[in-house]
Amino acid sequence: MSKPRIGIYGLTGCAGDQLNILNCEDELLKLFDIFEIKSFVMASSAADEESPLDVAFVEGSVSTEKDLEHLKEIRKKSRLLVAIGHCAVFGGVQSMFTGKKWEETYRAVYGKKDAVSLTRPLPPKPLSAYVKVDAVLPGCPIEKEPFLKLAGLLAKGVVPRHPDFPVCAECKWKENECLLLKGEICLGPLTNSGCGAICPSLNIPCIGCWGPIEKENWEAEAFLLKENGFSVEEVVKRFAIFGGEERAEKLKKFLEGKEG
Amino acid sequence: MRLFKIKKSNLFPFLRGLEGFGELWGPVRKGEKVVYARAKPEEFDLKALRTMIPAKKFLLPPKFTSLKFRESRWEDDYRPKRKVVFGLHPCGIHALNIYHRFYTRLYSDPYYERAKEATLIVGLSCVPDEYCFCYATGTSTVNEGFDLFLTDLGDRLLVWVGSPKGEESLKLVGKYLEDVEQKDISDYVAWRKRRDAAFKLKVDLDGMPEIVSFSYDSPVWEKMGKACLSCGTCTMVCPTCTCFDLEDEYDLKRDEMHRQRFWYSCVFREYSMVAGGHNFREARSERLKLWYTHKLVGFMSEYGAPACVGCSRCVVSCPVGINVVSVVRALRNERTAALWTKMEVSDA
Ligand code: SF4
Ligand code: SF4
Ligand code: SF4
Ligand code: SF4
Repeated sequence: MSKPRIGIYGLTGCAGDQLNILNCEDELLKLFDIFEIKSFVMASSAADEESPLDVAFVEGSVSTEKDLEHLKEIRKKSRLLVAIGHCAVFGGVQSMFTGKKWEETYRAVYGKKDAVSLTRPLPPKPLSAYVKVDAVLPGCPIEKEPFLKLAGLLAKGVVPRHPDFPVCAECKWKENECLLLKGEICLGPLTNSGCGAICPSLNIPCIGCWGPIEKENWEAEAFLLKENGFSVEEVVKRFAIFGGEERAEKLKKFLEGKEG
Repeated sequence: MRLFKIKKSNLFPFLRGLEGFGELWGPVRKGEKVVYARAKPEEFDLKALRTMIPAKKFLLPPKFTSLKFRESRWEDDYRPKRKVVFGLHPCGIHALNIYHRFYTRLYSDPYYERAKEATLIVGLSCVPDEYCFCYATGTSTVNEGFDLFLTDLGDRLLVWVGSPKGEESLKLVGKYLEDVEQKDISDYVAWRKRRDAAFKLKVDLDGMPEIVSFSYDSPVWEKMGKACLSCGTCTMVCPTCTCFDLEDEYDLKRDEMHRQRFWYSCVFREYSMVAGGHNFREARSERLKLWYTHKLVGFMSEYGAPACVGCSRCVVSCPVGINVVSVVRALRNERTAALWTKMEVSDA
């Protein structure tokens, strides 16, 4: 069997996910061993962009026209496309403003509408808003171990499925006291597991960087936090960081509706 | 059942002696929580009632590698360490008996069997706090399921021997054992009376199977489903919850697949999802109904006792107050101040 050909790409993001792949020091050679790496610009400028790929790993959100073109090219030549990191999977912190709010923010930052001339800006969106995504690895940034496991499965021809259960499970496996019960804003119940509940294990509330689970019950979490004395602003802010503006907007309506 | 006693001052040397069987684990207080941890006997909290996670973690850890395999061969090298687990109360031992039935009755689970073989269960008597309700689940005393059980009578402890393994372990601590006298028995009876009178939480489980069955369409479930975070905490902390999931992970360094086995929960959405994407319990209310039907009806009709041992871990752990006590009260149309009952049911 010939080695699967892969490419590792970045759109708009901090490049932290690619960096964490490079940080897999011990296993990096092994990765080069099982895959034929056609493109990984962060590691080497000698990229082959002509050959078709078995797997493309893409980090970053689609935030410009150029991002979108690049993504479509990658999609066209790749059998499987894997979104890595919160930006690629959910849109990232930058996607907390959409629609009108995004335009306002853009103007506030850049002064006018078409300040950047290299490419046209787009409201930041996850890859799945434009192309088919075959597998995801959330995290901000992605973690080494989950990445290696995912890469390993792909090398074996398995398309990995991200488990859909919350951080709280891993938190309880570690026997942590629940921060919600201690009156903090912990987003564990709404957030994808996989990080190993790092933050709550250090007594720091989960801020949701692995992105929301499917059919999250944000209404219940919002209700609970309000009962615990938090203001609408505090709750909305926390929800918006990694949950996107849409969730924050829904939440605000819900919380204010209950107040009136 | 054989019965001895030891002097209170000999408790720590007694436990240290049992270390001849394996590592010594017991309840240790860490801040506000209590966990079973490996420690010296002096560090154990003898008054602790409920650890964060129950002793089921010794029989099947939250996550472990159950199988390692490559294309043509496989290896199962799961060998739990020998451990003395000290400090289980009657509720916890009843829970282990439920666990035992589940994991041995139809098929014998080899991982469970190995851990069970490697574990010496040393129970300890308790006095209930404001949350305990084992009297209502018939689990306030225990006759089987432990290897040794210690009843604390103040200046001495009675030592009940519950299994051949327990009997064998006494060889390690023979020098501390004394014969019991009439006075010990009468003191024990008096202690039992005092303990029975100490229960504070009132929970009435009478007729519960019927009530749950006939409440199948009750709006209570809908309300609960609205407030449930699907966090899974209730099932992780419940000593009688047994569900697990399996997932294959690839170990790049060894070029090996590792089959991970980990605690899972019926309140998670994917739990009831089958191939093709159909979900039998898409609604949270349906999943909670399953949990409470399992605890209070299903197990009851099969074994004549509920699959709840009254430990109140769910009571102190659920962020929105969904637990056996508040649910039973709500289904009985009794008053409950639980947080979930305050959330309005609407289509937000
Ligand atoms: S501390 Fe946070 S992650 Fe842990 S159980 Fe509580 S809500 Fe869930
Ligand atoms: S529930 Fe009963 S057996 Fe369990 S700790 Fe409380 S009093 Fe003891
Ligand atoms: S009942 Fe409570 S503890 Fe259980 S999943 Fe729902 S919110 Fe979490
Ligand atoms: S249902 Fe609650 S009280 Fe009953 S055994 Fe489970 S955690 Fe303990």
